[in-house]
Amino acid sequence: MRSLLPRRQADRVRWGLSILLLVLAAIVPPASQYLEAQGLIESSRFEIVLGVTALILALWAISYNLMLGYAGMVSFAHAAYYGVGAYTVAILLQRYNISYYAALAIAPAVAAVVGIVTGFVALRAVRLYFSLLTLAISQLLYSVAEGWYGLTGGDNGINGITAPDQLTDYPTLYYFVFLIVGVSLLLMFILVRSPFGAALLAIRENRERARSVGINVKAYELAVYTIAALFAGLAGALFPLVQPSVVPSMLFWTENATPVVVTLLGGVGAFLGPGLGAFIYTGLYNSLSRDFPYQLDVLLGAVVLGVVLVAPGGFASVPDLLAQLRRRIVGEGPVAAEAETKGEAMQMLDVTRAVEAHAIQVEPVARGEVLLKLENLSKSFGGLRAVEGVNLEIHEGDRHAIIGPNGAGKSTLFNLITGRMRPSAGRVWFDGRDITGRPPHLIAKAGIGRAFQITMIFPRLTVLQNLQYAMLAHRGRTVQPWGLADRIYRDEAMQLLDAVGLGPYADLPAGQLSHGDQRAIELAISLALGSRMILLDEPTAGMSAFETRKAMELVRRIATERNLTLLFCEHDMSVVFGTARTVTVMHQGRILTQGTPEEVRSDPEVQAVYLGELDVEDEEAAPA
Amino acid sequence: MDPGKFLLFATGGLADAAYLFIVAAGLSLVFGALRVINMAHGSLYMIAALVSVVVANRLGAGIGFLPSLIAAVVVAAAIGAVIEVTVLKRVYGHEHLVQLLATYAIALIIGGAARLIFGPNYRTTTAPVQGSLTLLGYSYSVYALVMIVAAALIGVAMYGMLFRTRLGRNIRAAVSDPELLNASGVNVTLLYTTVFVIGAALAGLGGVIVAPSQAVDPTIGDSVLVLAFAISVIGGLGSIIGSAVGALMVGEVISFGLITPATNSFALAFVFIVMTLVLTVRPWGLFGRPES
Repeated sequence: MRSLLPRRQADRVRWGLSILLLVLAAIVPPASQYLEAQGLIESSRFEIVLGVTALILALWAISYNLMLGYAGMVSFAHAAYYGVGAYTVAILLQRYNISYYAALAIAPAVAAVVGIVTGFVALRAVRLYFSLLTLAISQLLYSVAEGWYGLTGGDNGINGITAPDQLTDYPTLYYFVFLIVGVSLLLMFILVRSPFGAALLAIRENRERARSVGINVKAYELAVYTIAALFAGLAGALFPLVQPSVVPSMLFWTENATPVVVTLLGGVGAFLGPGLGAFIYTGLYNSLSRDFPYQLDVLLGAVVLGVVLVAPGGFASVPDLLAQLRRRIVGEGPVAAEAETKGEAMQMLDVTRAVEAHAIQVEPVARGEVLLKLENLSKSFGGLRAVEGVNLEIHEGDRHAIIGPNGAGKSTLFNLITGRMRPSAGRVWFDGRDITGRPPHLIAKAGIGRAFQITMIFPRLTVLQNLQYAMLAHRGRTVQPWGLADRIYRDEAMQLLDAVGLGPYADLPAGQLSHGDQRAIELAISLALGSRMILLDEPTAGMSAFETRKAMELVRRIATERNLTLLFCEHDMSVVFGTARTVTVMHQGRILTQGTPEEVRSDPEVQAVYLGELDVEDEEAAPA
Repeated sequence: MDPGKFLLFATGGLADAAYLFIVAAGLSLVFGALRVINMAHGSLYMIAALVSVVVANRLGAGIGFLPSLIAAVVVAAAIGAVIEVTVLKRVYGHEHLVQLLATYAIALIIGGAARLIFGPNYRTTTAPVQGSLTLLGYSYSVYALVMIVAAALIGVAMYGMLFRTRLGRNIRAAVSDPELLNASGVNVTLLYTTVFVIGAALAGLGGVIVAPSQAVDPTIGDSVLVLAFAISVIGGLGSIIGSAVGALMVGEVISFGLITPATNSFALAFVFIVMTLVLTVRPWGLFGRPES
């Protein structure tokens, strides 16, 4: 369940809760000492140690959520990196007599090194197989911890670890951990809101799209995996402060239940959600685990299941749910009212657009220099020649349609141009540069965009974020791990949205828009990427007649305003003859003829092989 | 190496491969047809093993085996049916993340419930067939050989089910082309429940068969699940033959890993090294198909 517009209000509640949580966490030692003095609790020390445990858990779980919530990765190896941190401290302390503080600095580095090496292996696979590989890695590290007696003490583990003298005073211990966890959380918080974090969200939402706007998906996944391992290692290094022994079962894969449960309990959607989850979990665990240990397992499982199935936001989504509830009880309110008028606004927009578009259509298109040039381009699959010896020149500012019966080679030709396929022979020149056989993201960078392919948006990001993040990625800014991604390129993205008529929906999740409007987002993304030429592969497939008209009006208007070159293939002849200035007819992988729409229509050869079929379609399409 | 010792370890690996194959085949079948990774598969194995031990001990070893087998498999299948109808139906077609977390939650629930019902301690039972025989100077328990034969029979039965029955044809259709299946008028909802129940029953069968040969407690599912994943991934998720080959590899790697004191602590580590190698070179496994 996602709220619509009252994000701001829900955000305010969330910020308020976060500050409350931090304040409560900050006063744990004096509060428990006060309660002890009042005789309300037996021992403040016990409560303080619980607080330290919750802080460590919060660090561990929030680092887990960097992967789960922000990048959409399910790892079953996170407990292993926590264990590596704990073992590093234990080994350095017991075997090498190094001071705890030095060990605390070394442990996260060791975890990060283990993380980057194992993560590199795990990320050879994607999604599900990635998860299974992390499971294998987890068990591998567990086997090493259990089997390497000389280093780890085998299944006895390492016992009798003591905290340094300075930290034996409980409030001091608490604030020491509080400081380390606080600084770590702050660093992670900066990270997730930075352009780097934006790239993670883009990957979570749509890997393919993320790649096509220029994000090196694997590199970012490895980076966040390693960062998560580093902070898990730090959390693990803090663990010996409250527990004197480190045992191999800490690395066993089932131990990942803790960060998973805590994260889902608190909510994957809010940064401090897992922190809240950590305190709830610690409280629950402590009050139930002695008397009802197994009931607790069942309860935690039920909570995870409930969260996954019913409220994917966890506790952190309570503000959203409350806002929704309030809206339902209070009634319409400003939000619903705006949603109500959306349809009307759209109708009005369309009238003006239609008028503009008509004016544009009668205007002659200024054809400039040759922008894209195909030289003797061929592609064969085995014996089948899908594209054969195609020579084609597309002029700047032209609106060029490629038509032809099914199997004429149109889609293959597009794939050759955008780099999704390598040609068997021939050259592709764009703006005087040879781009033959270049990888797709470089061709996209050169200025050839694709639009109108379904699901090529980031559905749960806002419409505005879709554009901003695409710009960040395209301009190479997503390597930057600081700064606020949502504030960068905001005005520029807003202008683009206004240009495609999506301005009023800027703050809505893109996935909630209609099919046609989602395609408008794609078009805007192409513009945001600075494309000079846009390829549209059957732009109106799957659209209603109303949506088709709206979408093509938009395309024509944008193309004229920004002097974009359009190259499209399309079956709907009303779209072709209503939009194109130049039409190329393909047949059996070759170019049959080329000319203005009128020339092509009246070409007897075209009519012989193809237009008989076209006329029928045209007549069918016309009344619609 | 002397041939007697080699045979001993090879047979040991085969016995491990036997029950692991049964468990992994169920996991793989469910994944192939439903595209869901069932993190609760090991829990069904564990519950069945516990049920079978309790029933067998109540009725007495030997005669108690068959009733315990039936009771345990029925329990596993029934729990499977409940899981499929109440949870899985809601997550089909969702991203893997949701499916992994939902079935993982079920595993947590079953694990807690098992400790609640059966207690945390381990239980044992005696094998339905006793005795041993000696070959090339080493003795073998008859039950280990029974396990190997049983697994082979189950493998053949599964093959027959998949390739000789209408149900099998529908399952194979679900594996290769779910859309076609939808259009063909088969009751897909029922088919999915059936497949999941078969998968659960196989997990249970594995648990029953292994129970007399080891101590059984509510955690045994956790390590078996990981091995079953390793097998399915090595062999290719969704492929029954892949499960058999994967189980053989894993069983033998573990068994021969134990052969020298230098390596026996790391026998399991070898399995995960093999799994990692296979996945990095051929992510869809030896007999699997790349996921589109």
